[in-house]
Amino acid sequence: MIEIIYKLKKLDWFYFSLIFFLSFVGFIMIYSATSGMEYNVLFSHVTKIILGLSVMLIVAMIDLDFWKRNAFYIYLICLILLVWASFFGHIGKGSRRWINFSGFYFQPSEFMKICIILSLAKFFDEKKIKENRDYFFLILPIVLVLIPFGLIISQPDLGTASMILFISFIIFFFSALSWKFFASIGVGFLIIAPYLWNSLKHYQKQRILTLFNPENDPLGSGYHIIQSQIAIGSGGTFGKGWMKGTQSHLDFLPEKHTDFIFSMLGEEFGFFGTISVIGLIVLITYLTYQVVNNSKIDMFQRILGFGIISNFFFAAMINMSMVIGILPIVGLPLPLVSYGGSSMLTYFIGFGLILSIKLGVDRKY
Amino acid sequence: MITRDLNHGQKVKRRSFILAGIKSIFALIICGKLYYLQILNKSKYGKLSDINRTKVKILYPERGTIFDKFGNPIASNRLDYQLNIFKEKSDLINRYISKLKNIIFFSQRDYQQLKINLARKDISDFIILKKNLTWDELEIFELVSNKFPFLFITKEKVRSYENNVIYSHVLGYVGYKNDLKEQKLNNLKFGISGLEKTFDKKLLGRDGWIKLETNSKGRIKKELNKKFAIPGENIKTNIIASMQELSHKLLSGISGAVVVLDCKSGGVNCMVSTPSFDNDEFSKGISNEKWNELLTDESKPLLNRCISGLYSPGSTYKLLTALFVIEKMGFDYDKKFYCPGYVEFGNRKFHCWKKEGHGSVNLIDSIKKSCDCYFYNLAKEINIDELSKFSKDFGMGVLTGIDIPDENYGLMPNSDWKRKNRGEKWQKGETLNTVIGQGFTLSTPLQITLMTARIASGKKLEPKILKRNRYFFEDLNLSEQNLNFIRNSMYKVVNEYQGTAYLSRLDNNLKMAGKTGTSQVRKISKEERESGVLKNEELIYKLRDHSLFTGYAPFDNPKFAITVVAEHMGSGSKVAAPIAKKIMDFALKKYT
Repeated sequence: MIEIIYKLKKLDWFYFSLIFFLSFVGFIMIYSATSGMEYNVLFSHVTKIILGLSVMLIVAMIDLDFWKRNAFYIYLICLILLVWASFFGHIGKGSRRWINFSGFYFQPSEFMKICIILSLAKFFDEKKIKENRDYFFLILPIVLVLIPFGLIISQPDLGTASMILFISFIIFFFSALSWKFFASIGVGFLIIAPYLWNSLKHYQKQRILTLFNPENDPLGSGYHIIQSQIAIGSGGTFGKGWMKGTQSHLDFLPEKHTDFIFSMLGEEFGFFGTISVIGLIVLITYLTYQVVNNSKIDMFQRILGFGIISNFFFAAMINMSMVIGILPIVGLPLPLVSYGGSSMLTYFIGFGLILSIKLGVDRKY
Repeated sequence: MITRDLNHGQKVKRRSFILAGIKSIFALIICGKLYYLQILNKSKYGKLSDINRTKVKILYPERGTIFDKFGNPIASNRLDYQLNIFKEKSDLINRYISKLKNIIFFSQRDYQQLKINLARKDISDFIILKKNLTWDELEIFELVSNKFPFLFITKEKVRSYENNVIYSHVLGYVGYKNDLKEQKLNNLKFGISGLEKTFDKKLLGRDGWIKLETNSKGRIKKELNKKFAIPGENIKTNIIASMQELSHKLLSGISGAVVVLDCKSGGVNCMVSTPSFDNDEFSKGISNEKWNELLTDESKPLLNRCISGLYSPGSTYKLLTALFVIEKMGFDYDKKFYCPGYVEFGNRKFHCWKKEGHGSVNLIDSIKKSCDCYFYNLAKEINIDELSKFSKDFGMGVLTGIDIPDENYGLMPNSDWKRKNRGEKWQKGETLNTVIGQGFTLSTPLQITLMTARIASGKKLEPKILKRNRYFFEDLNLSEQNLNFIRNSMYKVVNEYQGTAYLSRLDNNLKMAGKTGTSQVRKISKEERESGVLKNEELIYKLRDHSLFTGYAPFDNPKFAITVVAEHMGSGSKVAAPIAKKIMDFALKKYT
């Protein structure tokens, strides 16, 4: 008990408040998206924020050794849930990815991200890949990544699947593997790329193609990108004002409380709003970098913290790139801001782990 | 390996810096794009977002109402429910129509109009799919409207003529103009004929617009701002609805015309031409077949006989001849001529309508009994150019200036005219025909009425349909005595035994004065004269005489001047005069 009070005292509350503030931005935007009318949506979102913040604190209190010891078991549990969701789960948004847990719907694929980061961190902590023959051991982490990737892409959920692949790739990179390894992966990718392209669903191909020329098909797949750009662009410097976005409130903007929430932010709060949110995300990332680059922490913590923050940062940037028309629309929420419980809870757990690492660092002084 | 000499920790650190660099670049690219979208292109996207949500609709003005003399509307507006679609969604039209066909009837005309609407460019963001929705169609559409985003119903006020046949020639009708320079107002209807055309500017009003905010589902959320349409001005006319209706009824089955003028103001109280057409149908948009049918109809329903129909004035013209000889030639009206049934002039025989002749008659009797021979004798002394000039003062052969379009001049011949148009000298014998209203002379029923009204009032009345509050007319500058002589002779025509219209004297204790006329449409050959002139009933319809009557009442205080023309109905006393009597009886009972 004393331990917990001590930890709470030592907790980085500034960091905590940054996380809280980002989720508060989410609340503000969801409030606007529902025009302050759909109380069940709003209530559900507030509940998730409170639940998430609590989970974050609880995770921060737990000793990191616990995660390190059980990383593979947690991964296995999550994998079982993922298999369950992929085969027997609830269908929503065109893919089978939800599990109905007594009224709560959650996506194991979201939690899988954390599990993969945990297991990869544990793997690379224990196995230092230094010599050429060590590369043989990489089969294990590659399988660890490819199994959930395959399951998720079959749901089909291209956004989460590619995010998992991307984050794993970054962890591999971060773990100081040789450039040759990545070169060979790159060559391998180029070889299978045509097959991958062919295996994509028609609408997925369309989304990628329209990225290059949205005006080509203004009422089809390009519609969302164009409307989103109009929303953001028309916001101007300071935006049209909270709850006054016309693109969003007159339904020209699709999915305004999930994937396109950033467009709505851009419309209602303008350049000032979007840059502030980016600044907040960059600040959180920067503070986390300070922790993971601290020489006092071990490789597990370093890879864990780095993986989590990269996941957060890249998810945010990819979501923004999507809605401003730099990347294809793949269905990825804006971390902590978009409506959606599983994704939000995953990020809160992640930040709980980072807070926990931070506690460890601070204590050692 | 490149990094062999570094220890693992340093390598990790270096990789993390590389990634930090990549992240920074990523964030900067996004910031750059946001700067591009939100700062550099704000106005472009701002405009696009406005185009997205705001839709402009033209507000068409309500056309002014046309009232009769006593404030009864004779042309008003009705509510029309119209089905509209967002212009930007016009690619949905074919799909929607094929789905809606079962509940809403689309005629061939609707398709044509839709095509025109689609081709035209105006500021409106909506296109009318279908006008004139019925109540049933409206009700069913309301039930399924959820399945048809971007469609919505509007209410418009459109022209409607309740008594759609009776006033057609006076009111005219409204329709689209295809030769507009500024095609801003696709669905604005203009006056095409009649009063609607003459007073179009007044009746039209000014259009407005409304800016609406709509959502992406094609639902209208609210009005942003608007400029109200200014409705057209109402206009008051001199038409008396009840008289118009009665006249139309009395002319049923007859091709003809009735014109009634107010002898004080010159106002047109009644202007009926039969057969007529349905101007309401015209205003809704008439089909090509129907239009062709009307154009080729031999009874010419589109012709306004009152102002464009040309007839020999026949014996009604004798009034002017008589007035001319006593006023301008100092003729002694007690002078008698003997009528044996014909007059010989040159080597031709000129026949009186009464084969056995009228015996010895003076001027007043010759008018009362409509003796042709008396006038033949007068004609021998008459200079046609002077008579023609005199007649023009009474409206013969000149435009009356009536305030509806397409008025006909008629024809009042003189020697000049003959030379120019026929290349011949005027023959004296032609004067003989002219003085009894035959020959070259042509006049419209309105001109004949105007002549009567000017005789009755002694003033240069001008006929107008539009009601005027102030009017002033010049005097004809004729001796009152001479005018009274003509008026008295007209009195005798109607009210004395042996007068040609004696059978049509009024039931009223007020008296009518008038003159019958029989306008011959064929030449009677010498052989026919000898073997006996064919009776009207024995002729084919087109060769039968026109029946004419013109008159005014009350005799001592003229109020109404009337002319009735009944085509191919025989003598004036048989058909035209009785109709005039009925109308006068009604009018005097009601309006004096």
